[in-house]
Amino acid sequence: MEILSNLFNVALLVAMIRTTTPILLVALGGSFTTKAGIFNIGLEGQMLIAAFFAVVGSIWTGSSLGGMVIGVAAALLFALIYAILVVSFRANEVVVGLALNILAGGMTVSLLKAIFGTRGSVVGRGIVGLPKIQIPGARDLLGPSTAQLISGYTPLVYVAFFAVPLLILFYNRTRLGLYIRVVGEKPEAAEALGISIVRIRYAASLLCGLFAGLAGAHMSLGYITMFTENMSSGRGFMAVAILIFSGGDPLKVLAGCLLFGFADAFSLRLQTFGFPSYLVLAVPYAVALVALFVLSWRARPKRIRETVDTIRRALSVHPSGEADRNAPLPRS
Amino acid sequence: MTNRLFFRELFSKGLARTLTGQALAFAIALALGAVIILMIDESPVAVFLTLMRGAFGDTEKIAGTLLQTTPILICGIAACIALRGGMFNVGIEGQLFLGGFAAAWVGFAFSLPPVLHVLAAMTLAVIAGALWIAIPAFFRVRFGTNEVVSTILANYIATLLTSYFTIFLFKRPGGWSETPPILTSAYLPELFSFSRLNIGLLIGLALAVGVTAFFRWTSAGYAATMVGSAPKFAEYGGVNVRRVGFGVLLVSGAVGGLAGGVETLGVHHRFMEGFAPGFGFDGLIAALLANGSPIGTIFTALFFGALRAGSLLLEVDTTASREIITVIQALIILAVSADLMMPRRGDRTGERRWKF
Repeated sequence: MEILSNLFNVALLVAMIRTTTPILLVALGGSFTTKAGIFNIGLEGQMLIAAFFAVVGSIWTGSSLGGMVIGVAAALLFALIYAILVVSFRANEVVVGLALNILAGGMTVSLLKAIFGTRGSVVGRGIVGLPKIQIPGARDLLGPSTAQLISGYTPLVYVAFFAVPLLILFYNRTRLGLYIRVVGEKPEAAEALGISIVRIRYAASLLCGLFAGLAGAHMSLGYITMFTENMSSGRGFMAVAILIFSGGDPLKVLAGCLLFGFADAFSLRLQTFGFPSYLVLAVPYAVALVALFVLSWRARPKRIRETVDTIRRALSVHPSGEADRNAPLPRS
Repeated sequence: MTNRLFFRELFSKGLARTLTGQALAFAIALALGAVIILMIDESPVAVFLTLMRGAFGDTEKIAGTLLQTTPILICGIAACIALRGGMFNVGIEGQLFLGGFAAAWVGFAFSLPPVLHVLAAMTLAVIAGALWIAIPAFFRVRFGTNEVVSTILANYIATLLTSYFTIFLFKRPGGWSETPPILTSAYLPELFSFSRLNIGLLIGLALAVGVTAFFRWTSAGYAATMVGSAPKFAEYGGVNVRRVGFGVLLVSGAVGGLAGGVETLGVHHRFMEGFAPGFGFDGLIAALLANGSPIGTIFTALFFGALRAGSLLLEVDTTASREIITVIQALIILAVSADLMMPRRGDRTGERRWKF
């Protein structure tokens, strides 16, 4: 019993909120591109390059805000390159995304050696971390242990969680949000309406870069102020997994991210209980895979289903029946 | 991208244009690479010369280049197979690790007669690679679960799992994070006395030729290509799209496992943590650069192998980090993917393959 109460307590929830934040930020960023009909596998690289330049920027400017801005700028640059290649040059999005991830990995290591003269990681050296925000009165109202649930996080934690309702409003109530959705769901309709698909996809891609940049900055300037090689360690890919089964809906994204945040925090907790660290570290990836497999068949694209239906109608193989509509693919 | 290129090559007024396009892309990528090398305070010319010297300086260096080429080539062929079937196997890295571990395990845990030992170890490596991709492949063909993400995530699990096996279950007493060495009966024969270069290279070359022949001259190969480039046509022609897709991914994973087996039995003679960093990804981008052609992959793999071998000297002779070659590789892929010589089509919605 004692082990259980040690495993599950307020501290675990707090840790979960912390570990959820970067993945939530990056997944929300990816929701823009997902909604705009772009499969953005390059989130990982944008996050990593932002994490590195956030550290560099915070040393150069001597402030965490400066670090954040420079980190986000780097991610935006990557997002811009991604958009130019994928939207304007119509290159394959998986190829470009993977190449940008590899580029980010190689560049951060090369620059790490060129700037700091070290391999592996950079710690200290005047890196300024993000401040912790104490919400006034939280301690008095809720008592010390509950108060830490809502108070004492870095600003980006609040940004991440408040972005969820804002994004819901954005997609339903703003012109740009609606345009992004139209471009993703029915490009032909967008074109007929005179919406510039290219411009909207650029906008979505850059918004994605902004959020991925914040996620990266939170990784390297948030609770640990350091940069290590490949420190994003697949979080960008987990975010893509979440995006696939959530379809980019902010609420579902939040739910998915909380699941991974929990898996992450829980695996860290298990490690302190002496489980083999290698197996424990694999838990979040395994959770991501299982969730992807279990949930993705339900969130499959409408387009394939529609295409299948039109083919059936054209070939008049099946007279259109509602039951068939839900069948995944025509059986061969 | 790949299929568009295949078709252009097939109905080829475009081959010359493709080649000019690739050359232009290379030039742009190298120019960008030079800019980045300048950014880290090194001379691009010096870096280039050091890379060349490290890759082709003398016979030992050339053997070293071929040694690095081998796993990239085999991984590249694994990627080619999946690309032909219209899918990305980004999980080659994971299959490589599991295949490598499986081969090493057979190598040190059993004692068998020489040739049989190698065959047994290789077989298990192939099976391990195929098994590791089986679940993502199943969900890909049955439910359309995006294989790019599932295989990437599987990589992380594979790496951690093999590390766990190595460190917690089979650690060599007193050693670093590595298994006991394999028995000499499981060694792959070496080609020269002065290098660890082994028949793995020949296996890779034979695979490249075999896979090309398979896709070109067998009906099963034709079916797989059609599943990749025109699934509806394939289905209409009576091909079981799902079964062929599953088979293609399984074989791709098996070849990935083989690459791991070659690496442990031929080079390291044991399994150690991080024994083959990035070979899977290098193979994938080599295959992409070759437009999914196994024969073309021989040359792109050789190019990447030379970069890798050269980068070892780079670390010694200059202050640049060897990861600078990763940057150059990524830039080349980006430039090639832009496909500059391709006339832009009028419609903006366009068809995009590999959507989820």
